[in-house]
Parts: sequence; C-alpha cells; structure tokens
Amino acid sequence: MSTQSVTITVDGTPIEVNPDRMLLPELLDKGFSIPHFCYQESLGSDGNCRMCMVEIAGKKRPQISCDTPIVAGMEVRTRGESIEKVRRDILELELINHPVDCPICDQAGECSLQDYYMEYGLYQGKVDKKEKHHFDKHIDLGANVLHDQERCVLCQRCVRFCRDVTHTDELCVAGRGDHSYITTIPGETLHNAYAMNVTDLCPVGALTSKDFRFQQRVWFLATSPSVCHGCAKGCAIDIDHAKSKYHDDTIYRFRPRKNPEINGEFICDAGRLSYKETQTYLLRTCLAKEEILADAEALDRMKAILTEDEYPIVVLADANLYTEELAALQAFARTFHAQLYAPLEAYHDPAFGDDWLKSSQRAANAEGVKRLGIATEMPTLNDNTLVINVNHPDGHRTANRIDLLTHRPDENTERVPARLTLPIAPWVRSSGHLINEDGIEQYCEQVLRRNDPTPTLLERLAHFLDKGDDTILDNMETAL
Amino acid sequence: MNDTVKPTRITTVPRYGDQPADKLYLPAIYAGIKVTLGHFVRNVLDITAMETLEYPEEQPTDITSRYRGLHRLTHREDGSIRCVACFMCATACPAQCINIIATERTDGIDEKMPEIFAIDTLECVFCGMCVEACPCDAIRMDTGIFSVTGKTREDFVLQRDRLLSHTGAFETEQTRNKEASHD
Ligand code: SF4
Ligand code: SF4
Ligand code: SF4
Ligand code: SF4
Ligand code: FES
Repeated sequence: MSTQSVTITVDGTPIEVNPDRMLLPELLDKGFSIPHFCYQESLGSDGNCRMCMVEIAGKKRPQISCDTPIVAGMEVRTRGESIEKVRRDILELELINHPVDCPICDQAGECSLQDYYMEYGLYQGKVDKKEKHHFDKHIDLGANVLHDQERCVLCQRCVRFCRDVTHTDELCVAGRGDHSYITTIPGETLHNAYAMNVTDLCPVGALTSKDFRFQQRVWFLATSPSVCHGCAKGCAIDIDHAKSKYHDDTIYRFRPRKNPEINGEFICDAGRLSYKETQTYLLRTCLAKEEILADAEALDRMKAILTEDEYPIVVLADANLYTEELAALQAFARTFHAQLYAPLEAYHDPAFGDDWLKSSQRAANAEGVKRLGIATEMPTLNDNTLVINVNHPDGHRTANRIDLLTHRPDENTERVPARLTLPIAPWVRSSGHLINEDGIEQYCEQVLRRNDPTPTLLERLAHFLDKGDDTILDNMETAL
Repeated sequence: MNDTVKPTRITTVPRYGDQPADKLYLPAIYAGIKVTLGHFVRNVLDITAMETLEYPEEQPTDITSRYRGLHRLTHREDGSIRCVACFMCATACPAQCINIIATERTDGIDEKMPEIFAIDTLECVFCGMCVEACPCDAIRMDTGIFSVTGKTREDFVLQRDRLLSHTGAFETEQTRNKEASHD
C-alpha cells in the first residue's frame, strides 16, 4: 500500500493527491466542483450517470472521474468550453423526460438537478412539455418513502444503499434502457429500520419522505447541529427548524449529520422521526396535585417542601439529561443532603437494539451518568422519602414527590399525582454535552428559541443553588 | 465562473442651480404661479373639465390593465384552483404578508395545493412581486379593485376562497387560460 502522495495537474495547477483513491472523491475533497449523481461518499462509485466527466490529457474522450484511478503526473481539466458542453449535453439527456415540476417537488432548493442546471445547464429545452413520457408519480414504497419515477435519474444510490449498507435488497431497477425504473422486488416493500436514509441519498426529488411531505419549503429552514436522543449511540444529526411569522420556532425534520466515528452519514428511522416527541404533549404549567399554579408560587412551595420537611430526599435523574444538568443535580443533592440516582434499568429495550447503529440502551447519556459516578440502580422508595423526580420514566411510583417534567404525564398510565409538578424545557430547547456508549462526547446546541420559553433544568436548579458555588463546574470538569 | 470583472458604470450628473438666475428664485416662482393660474382660469371658465373626482359617488374610469389592484387566485380550465402552494410568492414577498399552508391534493389534477392561502392586505405594499414570482400564473393583481374596507383587522386578511372569487377586470379566465396553456 503506497500512501505517498503524488502530484497531478488540475486546471493548470499542480496539486498533491492520494493515489489510492479515485479522481472524483479526491478532487471533491480538494474543493473542486464536479457535478455527479451516482457517486456518493458512503456508497462509492457506480459509473452509471456519466455526469462526472473531466478531460484528461492524452485520452481521446472525456472520462468519468469517479472511476478513474489517479496516475502520477496526469493532467486533468474540469473546466473549459468542451467539457462544459459535454456536461450540458448529459444534463439535457437526463432532463428529457423529467417533469420539471419543481413547484410541487419537496426537493426543490436542495436538488442536484436544479443546482447543476443553474451552474452548467442553462440551455433552452428542445422537448415540448407535451411530448414528455410519463411514469408513475406517487408510489408508496413503504417505510414513509414516496417514489416519483418521472423525477428519477437512475443513479441507483437507493438500490445500492439497500444492497450494500442494510443488506436488505428491497429495491431494484426494472426494465431496460429508457424504460428503466426503480421499484421494489415483487412482493416486497421497503421495510428496513434505516430505509428513510434513501430520501437523503436521492440527489433529486424522486424519493421523498412522507413525513416531511409538503410541510415546509427547505429554504425557510435553519439548521442546527445536534445529537439524536433516541438511544445511547448518540448519532450526529442536523435539526431543521423554522420560525415564521405565524408560527413559533418548530422542528420539521431530523437529518443525519456526518460523523465518521459514530454514524457515518446515516441514522435510523426511529431516531429520525423522534423529532415529534420534542414538541408534542409538552407540559406547560406548574401543578400542585391537579391545581394549576403560577411559576413563582410553585418555586416557593418547592423551596418550602425542601427546607421544612423532615423526610430524607432522593433525586431520580433521567439518563437523557446533559452532563452539565447531571452535574448541577449532583450539586443540588449535596446542598440538600439528598441521594442522587439515575436508574438505568428503565431504559433497557432489547427489541430496539441491532448490530449496527441502534442500541438497546435507550438513554442518550448513560455513559455520562456512569462517568459522574451517579448510582444507576433503583433505590427502594416509600412515602417516608421525598422523591425529586427529574423526568425519570419510573419516577412516579410514590406519592410524596416533586416532579420536574418535560412532558405531560401519559394519561393511560396509572400515576399517583405528585405534590408539585414543574415543567422543564425538553432537550432541543437547552444545550449541553452527551457521552455516547462508546465514550465519544458531543455537544448539543440549543436548537429552538421559542417565544414561550419553558425554564431549563439549570434555570430551575439555579433557584436552589448557591450562585457563588463553583463546585458544579469543578465537579463537571473532574468528572469528564 | 466568470473571471472578468465588469467596470463599474458611474455617471456624474451635472448639478443645476448654481447660476445667478437660479439663485434669484424669482424666475422659478414665476413659472410655478403661471401653471397654477393657468389651471385656475381654465377651471373657472369650464367647471366640467376639472380633474377632481367626486369619490365615492364618482368612480375612476382610468384604471388600466397595468394597475395593481387587489389580488386574485386564478382557476384552471376545469375551474379548480391553479395554485400549487409552491411558496414562490411568499418567498418573494418583501412584506412577508402571504401565509400558505400546503396540503396534499387528492382530486388527481395535481399533487399539492394550498389549504390556507391568506394575504394580509394591511401589510401588503402592492408591489406585484408575488405575481412576478408565480411559476403557474396562479396569482394576479388584475382585478381593478383599489379599495378594501372592513371593520376588523381580520377583514383585511383575504382568505383563499375570497381570493378565488375575485374576477379579472380586463380579460376572462378563458382568454387567460388559452394563453397559459401555450407555455
Ligand atoms: S427533482 Fe429537482 S429538478 Fe426535478 S422537479 Fe424536483 S426539484 Fe425540480
Ligand atoms: S430514486 Fe433517487 S436515488 Fe434512486 S435511482 Fe432514482 S434518483 Fe437515484
Ligand atoms: S403585492 Fe407585494 S407585498 Fe403584496 S402580497 Fe404581493 S409580493 Fe407581497
Ligand atoms: S400563487 Fe403561485 S407562487 Fe404562490 S404558492 Fe400558488 S402557485 Fe406558488
Ligand atoms: S458520478 Fe461518475 S458516473 Fe456517476
């Protein structure tokens, strides 16, 4: 294996490249822009779309750069009249039967066809709209994926994803030549747990998500990097949200964010759809038993209960909390001589885990809990103990307790009402660090900035902690 | 892509008002009074030639097809809504006064249509950008309607069905549809 770099000339400039890779990925990494459909970083080259043509000195015809090995001293041209004409012609071929229905296409705004047409195309179409061949436009492939055959450029990224990545082989190309189309194997539907990744992989609007369909135009979306809280794997995600004039800041979708150490470029469908949980059934008001309380009143009562009652105090912490929040809970427990637990048993879900990304430990910061030295077993509780339940799924068993909850309690589960219930902001509305099951630490930004903010856990705890006490931060730093 | 930088085109406009005659102001004042007096004499001699309209009893008659009146949403040949809720108008609108909520269209004519399409005319600046931006010729300002009245703020937020009920003042849907189907 040679890893020594070699020198090649691209558009007249000599550059150092890695000869073990193909030309296209190397040039893309070096910042050259070369249009391509079928090459995809995680799926590799397929050589079927012919969009990535470049000129190579000494070769009679333009070559596809995604399948051309690098040879020391080669001279490559990615720009210039003749190669741009080739590109324009291939694009025109690609668009012959394309419906160009961008106004109703969810991909518009993040579509490779649109981008390439604006950058390299700009030709006058020769095919009349009425002469175009029509295919099926609304095929439900399963797993929330809709297929529009007219918009497909047959790059086969979707087919290769199901073949090479998930090994489930649901998709295939049927037909020949101009009649080819993408479909599921007869009798099959898309059913793997990662299927919705094909909607990200598809460079055009041929595969779109049923969940995101028509919800928002992509150019209105702001993107914040974050981490999925679905399980202990902690896949890196981008959260697309928008705050418009008539609607408060709202999340529209989760998309995988590239992190080679954890999830590559993919996430599971369960995690992708978990954005809904961050903005539905949220708790908004403070409650004393069933009665609604003002925020200040609730805090006063909480203070009174904590200082006046004689009961020993136990704090039950959700293992999805950020490390900063867990450390603040440790300081809180010290201040009130309480015992802090983050029982992990409740998060164990063997049905969820698999051998790729999905973990059967469904607590995003279980590792953070362990590193901070927080006890992970469930203590024996009775009504002679005052329980401070911070969003723990099993924290509602005893009546003598104060709840700090993100969500309204599920009406279907049997639940003793707490003495006091205070809402806290869900994770997308606060920020902090998470440590995944492999020990990788990631930072989550505050994503949503609502007009009606709910106090975060840290803001709640600040009322009970000595402000001059730096031990929270010190404690955090030593723990990490 | 294009490496050639276009030279900036700055034109220096000559400055007026520096001459002694300008600084006197009297010639300019005289010219102004001449216009006013001219109108006065003409109006006194023939009162019917006066430009003033006795609005609202008298309505303007000089609204041309280029006049940007209240918006309307146009129809397809089959009479159904033309708009596909692409949000181009809302994106182009400088006043951000178009509120669209899209939904699946299930009648087989198209895939997408607006469930809510509302223009807040209290915020609209009647610039016509929405009409320019629409790829489907679904929104027009050729109704000739120049006044909106209402008792509450909500009355001025024109909803989809109201916008669909407006008709073009200068051509019928049929002639327009004929044009549009030749695109
Ligand atoms: S796939 Fe791209 S080019 Fe085709 S309709 Fe959708 S946005 Fe337009
Ligand atoms: S559906 Fe999308 S990803 Fe699949 S072949 Fe067509 S264009 Fe490529
Ligand atoms: S006329 Fe101008 S301001 Fe009014 S809705 Fe259209 S784009 Fe917006
Ligand atoms: S009126 Fe035109 S631009 Fe506006 S959403 Fe409808 S189709 Fe799109
Ligand atoms: S990217 Fe090279 S042929 Fe498709």
